[in-house]
Amino acid sequence: MPDTPKDAVLKVLRGQKADHVPNFSGMGSITLTGIQELGYRFNEIHVDGRKMAEAAASTYRLFGVESAVVPFDMGVVAESLGATVKYYEKADLGQIIYPTMTRKIIDRAAVAAPGGLSEADAKTYTMKEVERQITEYQFKKPADIAKTGRIPVVLEALRRLKRELGDKVAIGSWTLGPFTELGQVMDLEILLKMAAKKPDVVTRHLQFMVEYLTDVINLYVEAGADFITVREMGATASILSPRMFKSLVLPNLQALFGRITSVPTVLHICGDTNPIIEMMAQSGANALSIDQMNRLPESRAKLPNVVLLGNYKAFGEPFCEGTPEQVEALIKQSIEAGADAVWPGCDIWPQVPVENMHAMMGAMKKYGLNSQ
Amino acid sequence: MTATPEQQADILERLKNGVVEYDEEAVVSAANEALERDMDAYKAVMDGLAAGMDVVGKYFASGEYFVPEVLMCADALYGGLNILRPHIKLDPDKMVKGSVVIGTVEGDIHDIGKNLVKMMFEVAGFTVHDLGRDVPLDNFVEKYMETDSDIICMSAMMTTTMIGMPVVIEKVRAKNPRAKIMIGGAPINEDIAHKWGADGTGKDAPNALQEALNMIGVLRDLGDQFKTERKTKEWGEDGILAPS
Repeated sequence: MPDTPKDAVLKVLRGQKADHVPNFSGMGSITLTGIQELGYRFNEIHVDGRKMAEAAASTYRLFGVESAVVPFDMGVVAESLGATVKYYEKADLGQIIYPTMTRKIIDRAAVAAPGGLSEADAKTYTMKEVERQITEYQFKKPADIAKTGRIPVVLEALRRLKRELGDKVAIGSWTLGPFTELGQVMDLEILLKMAAKKPDVVTRHLQFMVEYLTDVINLYVEAGADFITVREMGATASILSPRMFKSLVLPNLQALFGRITSVPTVLHICGDTNPIIEMMAQSGANALSIDQMNRLPESRAKLPNVVLLGNYKAFGEPFCEGTPEQVEALIKQSIEAGADAVWPGCDIWPQVPVENMHAMMGAMKKYGLNSQ
Repeated sequence: MTATPEQQADILERLKNGVVEYDEEAVVSAANEALERDMDAYKAVMDGLAAGMDVVGKYFASGEYFVPEVLMCADALYGGLNILRPHIKLDPDKMVKGSVVIGTVEGDIHDIGKNLVKMMFEVAGFTVHDLGRDVPLDNFVEKYMETDSDIICMSAMMTTTMIGMPVVIEKVRAKNPRAKIMIGGAPINEDIAHKWGADGTGKDAPNALQEALNMIGVLRDLGDQFKTERKTKEWGEDGILAPS
């Protein structure tokens, strides 16, 4: 019997070979086509569990992508910890603006300098005050995480997906990684400087994030997630030195992946991952996800036995703005470069044309079948 | 107490190295000394602080420095700039008269790259109208018209937020086909800038910061352009720039 999409995805994530190279994602993979067919506005699908599930399922139903993944925006966990998220309800129909953190828990916009200071002195005051707040802040978990913010929305979406598609496709969910999540809830600029100057403070907060993300992920798994992606893009080598990745980021990823034992896990980092790909492989994740900036054939050679998911560019040309022929070539390239599954480097742009989605899935049938 | 050429060179070197080694105290003390010794503040900014940031850009490109280090260098630069800037003499031949509207596009709150680009413009002497982060697209156009600015700079850190840029470019071009528009951010490269009709972005930029750092050279050239007598643009009654 041929592998179902779900079989293929789970086999690959466990390091086994399926009868075909699966095409799936652990990140947002919704299309405007799917959302418009459902009759929803973009802002609605982030706040309603049923609509979220239907939007996630539409990418499988319309095109055959082998996963259904929720949520779609990066604000869910930050919001549950107290950050303010804006949903752009008034955006034009068809305009894609993802929910955004407009006020972090510690945000320089919330710090007013005393009057009478020069612009430069006021800025210095604010920066020092934010640093003091970060140093002194004590995170607290919400009393009932499953009922906080939009976590219940994501849980409802996962339960629905499990019920409706759970025997066919892999149900995925994701969180940011500890470091990236911390940057979502605290002033990022000051946090990055403190990572260099006061690593002990940053480490203390990262350890909280490991605990909290473990709790959130466990709820996602209980609700039906077959696999979990942890997106630690804030620690890409485009931002942090490999040295800092090793001392500050990697130990917390290891702690987090060490606690997720019941489902396969994926570590995703975008941007430049070439200098850190081997450390990523030590994180304890079952598979690694990289984007188009990773030199996949080199990574394949460095890590022959590690599951690598990648790494087509999910926005702009050619996937969203090129011809179907170009998309076919793009997908063929990922397979030939040695990806264990064809997987985007990021959330796919929802405006991707229908014919390009079909061209991608057509390329899988042409180049992605494994002989038994 | 005027500085000898050797003392001047020493002060410039300390300004530069202080920025490179993110030693804000050293920069502050060298900047104060530059003033005490009657050095030209503009020279101290351009040949000391900006020259230091130029080296930082090279370190960033070669993978010696990463974002935290660059941010600390920027702090050191601002430490010196805050002291020197009030003393820059308003010599019309030396001052840049340009004005810039800058912001991070709607849906995006990442402003580190934007703030570094802003710093570069400030160093070069531009007037900067900073719209902040999560800026509704129309605000770029409105502010550009309202301030009669020369350049619009838009930043987006995420692939999911860059989509708004071509919308703004189109709206600005409808008003002024010759507007200078620069876009930047992690997912932006030259091909995208060209395709969307923007005038510039960092060459081969692995991310927004490299681009900001690369802009030093560009800004020095731009500065020369804007040193010439700047004419107020003449907007037609329909709000469209009259042909020159």
